[in-house]
Amino acid sequence: MKFERITLENFRQYFGRQRLEFARDKQRKVTVIHGVNGTGKTSLFLALNWCLYGSEYVNNVGELISKEAISRINISDFVDMSVELSFLHEGERYIVKRMRRGMKMIDGGVQPDPLDDFTMIRMHGDGQSEPVKNPIGTINAILPANVRTYFLFDGEKIDDFAKPESAKQVKEAVYLVFKLETLERAHRHLEISAADFRKELKNTSSGELRNLIERDEKARAALEKNEKRREELTNVIEQIGRKIADIEQRLRDIQNVRVLQQQRDFTERNLKQQRTDLDNVTNEVRELAISAYFTVPKAVIGRSIAILDAKREKGEIPSNIRRQFIEDLIVRMECICGRSFEDGGVQHRRLLGLIETTLPDSLGDDVLEISATLRMFEERATRHRANISQLMQRRTELMGLIADLDAELDDLGRQLKGSPLEEVSSLEKHRQGFIADIGSFYVEIGRLNKSIDELTKDIAQLDKDIIKAKKNEQKEKLLSTKLYLTQEAADAIKREYQAYADDMRARIEAKTKEIFKRLIWKESYFQDVRVDQDFNLGVIDQYGRPARPELSAGERQVLSLSFITAMSRISEEEAPLVMDTPFGRLSSQHRANITEQLPLLSDQLVLLVTDEELRDQERANLTPYIGNEYRLVFDTRTNYTKITEA
Amino acid sequence: MINERLSQLFTKYDPVIQTLISEVLTLEQAYISMERPHVKEQIDQIISRLAVKEQEHIDKSEEGNRRLI
Amino acid sequence: MADDRDTVAIDETAHEIYKQLTEGSNVLAVPFRTMKDVFMWAVCLGVQQGKKKSLTSKKLTVFRWAQFDQQTDIPLLKAVAIADSGDISILLKRNDILSVAEEYANAGIYDLRDGVFGGYGQPLWNLVSLIG
Repeated sequence: MKFERITLENFRQYFGRQRLEFARDKQRKVTVIHGVNGTGKTSLFLALNWCLYGSEYVNNVGELISKEAISRINISDFVDMSVELSFLHEGERYIVKRMRRGMKMIDGGVQPDPLDDFTMIRMHGDGQSEPVKNPIGTINAILPANVRTYFLFDGEKIDDFAKPESAKQVKEAVYLVFKLETLERAHRHLEISAADFRKELKNTSSGELRNLIERDEKARAALEKNEKRREELTNVIEQIGRKIADIEQRLRDIQNVRVLQQQRDFTERNLKQQRTDLDNVTNEVRELAISAYFTVPKAVIGRSIAILDAKREKGEIPSNIRRQFIEDLIVRMECICGRSFEDGGVQHRRLLGLIETTLPDSLGDDVLEISATLRMFEERATRHRANISQLMQRRTELMGLIADLDAELDDLGRQLKGSPLEEVSSLEKHRQGFIADIGSFYVEIGRLNKSIDELTKDIAQLDKDIIKAKKNEQKEKLLSTKLYLTQEAADAIKREYQAYADDMRARIEAKTKEIFKRLIWKESYFQDVRVDQDFNLGVIDQYGRPARPELSAGERQVLSLSFITAMSRISEEEAPLVMDTPFGRLSSQHRANITEQLPLLSDQLVLLVTDEELRDQERANLTPYIGNEYRLVFDTRTNYTKITEA
Repeated sequence: MINERLSQLFTKYDPVIQTLISEVLTLEQAYISMERPHVKEQIDQIISRLAVKEQEHIDKSEEGNRRLI
Repeated sequence: MADDRDTVAIDETAHEIYKQLTEGSNVLAVPFRTMKDVFMWAVCLGVQQGKKKSLTSKKLTVFRWAQFDQQTDIPLLKAVAIADSGDISILLKRNDILSVAEEYANAGIYDLRDGVFGGYGQPLWNLVSLIG
């Protein structure tokens, strides 16, 4: 950053518009501004700060507005107060202007507007300009607000850094400029986030997915096993069935019992038929049963019909003639009363008109329709119930028949088993044995079916759960990754922080020492400049002992100056050093040294000095570098300061 | 120099960690003049964004490994 | 009308009962085929008992208006709505008809469950005994 010029308008004692150019050559880089105390050196310094950073440190903005300017206007008129600064940075030119308007009050005082008017534009090499979108951010990127005190340097404060109690200030300075504070905050916040992630991760159930998949696998294995067994049993039943058929054929072949077997064949066929019929009846009953709900709410249907009738009787329903009715009449060319009418005649046209205009209200239609339908429910219900009744009777019949046939079969079986013929008895015993086996197998099949149904349901649910768990696992994985990244980052910062902090501390120490040695004349007396772990700034004498208590005021100031200059060099925020009465309290020897070295320590230097500060030797030291020189002249007649070229 | 030095501080770490640190530092720096800035949400957003990318990366390479087996 | 509801809702807590009444292959044990029929039974039982129960915020959609039978279900639902509100203009408000039905069903479903699964005997015959 290099200052180009500053224009003040009605700023404090600077009445009207006044401009000042800053020297910015490689060689001629020093601008000297002379002013007796009270003429406006500090105001100029303040103008720079205010322009760039606003009124943060200004108590009363109204005080900034030139009293002279106020005095010259009428009550309720306005004064514009502004500071415009143009500077170069990284090849581009910026112009920043901050303006505040004030209105003159009855008492002669000024009422400033509540807000500044703040603009920043960027100018390109070809003369084009554009407004800067985020001026505050941009300025802070060029010369951060918290660092400016090391560049826009108030000479009155020169003592501060070297005082014993200044360790905190030094530490703050180092922390801010070298971003140690940034690192610490980043570390702290990352640790907090990591802790949160860790807690969240604990709460999510892990291993759930694995568990579900295991259960799913088990269920599927069981299902397969059951299905296999069922198939097995079905096959076995089939086999046994064939064996039974064989036996029955054998029995048919045997003369004595042929008739019995044939009877049995016939009865079994019959039984099968009855059973089929029973199944059909059951299914029919089921269909009727599930649709029989409309038979239940008789009272409500009745009440509903009553309400509809009542409304209609009261005439609350539009008694519209239904369209269909009218259309029918037109087709028949017949009036309601029964007489026919002529095509195109009065009655015809009236009927046509009725269609057009008195289209039935949908409500009316609905009411008629629903009334009619509901009235039929009673009959439908009766029929429905009758049908079911009939079917249930049939069921009872069939069950009776089946029972009878079963009994018959049982009897036939006993007859065969008890046959005197050895072969017959044995065959029948086997047969009955087989039938009993089949019976058991069917029972087992029934159990298997139930189990298969349940397992199928379970598997369906597990599959759903697995999908959900997979989603959660994804979430869990992501959370893990977040935790990992956050913790790694926090640890990395922690690990590198100390080395970095030490490095910075060492650099600051070395640079301060380097500059201090150039500025101080009692070189041989002092050995070293130290910035210790607690960031105390100190000087060691040749005995290795801290020398600071023995530093004179001037020496302390030089140490401070060295520190500040070192900071600005190391941070390499390339920015001008602006110093407001830096030499006021230094001895002439020190001043000589400093004026010799300062130009070498900065790319651009602006010095606001009183005449006493710059005597011959100092002047001589600076002259090769002075590019512009001004004098602030306070005119007691007009009560304002004028910037004049010296 | 400081920004350079800071970024060099972490070159031996995973690129994604470097990115995370760099973005968080930039964020903190923007709010450095506030005493207690509320940056947690923004930090979490940064972490989430980078974690999603990193997760995709991990998933892809896991998929690749599975195919190899 | 454009904002007529298309879906019929049941309370989440009743969903299990609906499933029990419809999921299964054995006709004697699981008599119902569709959720709509279960619903209609639940409405009619609720209406018969004169009991209504409002739905909680946790609702499920199990079937759509289009599944109602034009000859039986819709007139029945309309009758229920008319008797409940005493106001025939409710015929034009499908959403209100549905709301009333859903509340009756939400009470009647428990009667249906008790009637079909409670007691001895196969659920199908229990259902038959509920017929009016």
